[in-house]
Amino acid sequence: MPLIDQPPFADELQAALAARGGEAVSVPMIQPAEPFLDTAGEDLRRRIFMTESETGASLCLRPEFTIPVCRRHIEAAAGTPRRYAYGGPVFRQRREGPREFFQAGIEDLGDPERAKADARVIGDAVAVLETLLGDGLSTTIGDQAVFEAVVAALGLPRGWQKRLVHAFGNPVALAAMLESLADPQPADDLADARAAELVASGEEAALARHVGARMEETGYSPHAGRTPEAIAHRLMEKTELARTRLEPSALAVLQEFLSFDVPLAGAPSELARFAERTGLAIGEALKDFSARVAALGHAPIAAMHYRAAFGRPLDYYTGLVFEVTDEDGAVLAGGGRYDRLMTMLGAAEPIPAVGFALWLDRIERARAKR
Amino acid sequence: MNVTVALPSKGRMKEEALAIFERAGFPIAQSGSERSYRGRVEGREDIEIAFLSASEIARELGRGGVDFGITGEDLIREGLADSETRVAIEARLGFGRADVVVAVPDIWLDVTTMADLGDVAADFRARTGRRLAVATKYWRLTQQFLSATHGIQLYRIVESLGATEGAPAAGQADIIVDITSTGSTLKANHLRVLSDGVVLRSEACLVRARCDGHAEDARVKEIAEAVRGAVAR
Repeated sequence: MPLIDQPPFADELQAALAARGGEAVSVPMIQPAEPFLDTAGEDLRRRIFMTESETGASLCLRPEFTIPVCRRHIEAAAGTPRRYAYGGPVFRQRREGPREFFQAGIEDLGDPERAKADARVIGDAVAVLETLLGDGLSTTIGDQAVFEAVVAALGLPRGWQKRLVHAFGNPVALAAMLESLADPQPADDLADARAAELVASGEEAALARHVGARMEETGYSPHAGRTPEAIAHRLMEKTELARTRLEPSALAVLQEFLSFDVPLAGAPSELARFAERTGLAIGEALKDFSARVAALGHAPIAAMHYRAAFGRPLDYYTGLVFEVTDEDGAVLAGGGRYDRLMTMLGAAEPIPAVGFALWLDRIERARAKR
Repeated sequence: MNVTVALPSKGRMKEEALAIFERAGFPIAQSGSERSYRGRVEGREDIEIAFLSASEIARELGRGGVDFGITGEDLIREGLADSETRVAIEARLGFGRADVVVAVPDIWLDVTTMADLGDVAADFRARTGRRLAVATKYWRLTQQFLSATHGIQLYRIVESLGATEGAPAAGQADIIVDITSTGSTLKANHLRVLSDGVVLRSEACLVRARCDGHAEDARVKEIAEAVRGAVAR
């Protein structure tokens, strides 16, 4: 390990992570770019340092650790459960300010007891930060699964549920979505008269055959991307979506939910009262949420709060998200559960995964102020 | 110091550019032969003409290597990061018109708007095991339009440097972002432009590099005004 080019509290940090049972793992600084672009989307391209190998493969300087650590786990065919601890520089393109940062953190892979594993990583992040900084930190918790349950319980069509869940964590997109739900616009008329007839009469199977026949005529390979069935299904769904209006009362319920920002200790009972008062069946998600709060046990839960609208608009996040901030609101740690990530990266079986990353440069600044 | 104007080095763009400069009162003589890449304005030793390819003109404008250039707006917006701060469009010239558009296979009957495309992109991986693939040579414009304007993140760009309209049929991509003037090539390839899928309405423009000293240079103002006048006539 290099003795320079590290935050001054590197030793203390390493010891703290090891004390939380993290097995130290190292991953190369130069990584294939594909897995990052594929999971986070094309927009990431502007924000990472990319280059090409001599043979034309896309490479990048690692912009974070979660994906490299997960890929390493898959490649090593290591068994689960497993806790990895990592640390080192990461690189991001920015117009102003530094482009190199230090991150460290833990990835907790394969523990099927999700509530306990969630509570453990929140506890880890807070404990490590307290070792380095003392108290005065606050933790915000969000839960995509609770949002999904509320949306499902409102009885919206599946297509609308998907749209809303996809926009979760992006307040602008979500607000636009709610607006169009309150005031739906009619779908465009179909240029294909036969298709329009079949949509009107609700004959989805016949519609799929019609689409399939047209595909054949125009030489579009149904194996290339979208199948006739997928197109027919979404066409029916779209017609239904255009007809769906969220009743003002239901919209008010959804907005009330999204405005929740309450101390974590009281959040389970608050959510239970909300469910009872509104008649929403969100029991399962609420059970998991409460189990996580209970599992937090001795963690400094007093400084934690639950904010219902807090999420991350990445499609591999599935449940818990959290961040820890200091008195000035600087985010010192961010984490969450990404149960869909491991299979996206090539794992043969789904592997539950939860973890967090610490922003060491911000921690250093926070230490300097104390 | 001379004022340098970069003009397209070949084709209809070159003819039209020469014509507009002639109408603006700057008749251009190509030095030596037709093949020469240098030219001059008769009676104006203080104006230098360079004939370059359209994409080179965009690049030279971006780094301030020339004062003016005539090129397509698409090349400016695609070729230069922060084009607003580096160049100014002095005049739209009314030729070389073409739109950069988002086009999907016509058989995607359910996809008529960018919002539809967002739905399909969000679901694409779950259905096919891969992200929606967009063939284009317009990386920057595609990212701005899909990601920044329409909030679509889940897609992958497949670089396509020619015959982009053929990419979906060839199985290289699902949709395209490409330039089209009449739409006939799209139609021939069974592609359809989304109703709100126009990324940029492009045409040839007189573009000025934002250089220090332009504000005090009377010739810079003279050229811009003369060309604007020639377009209006």
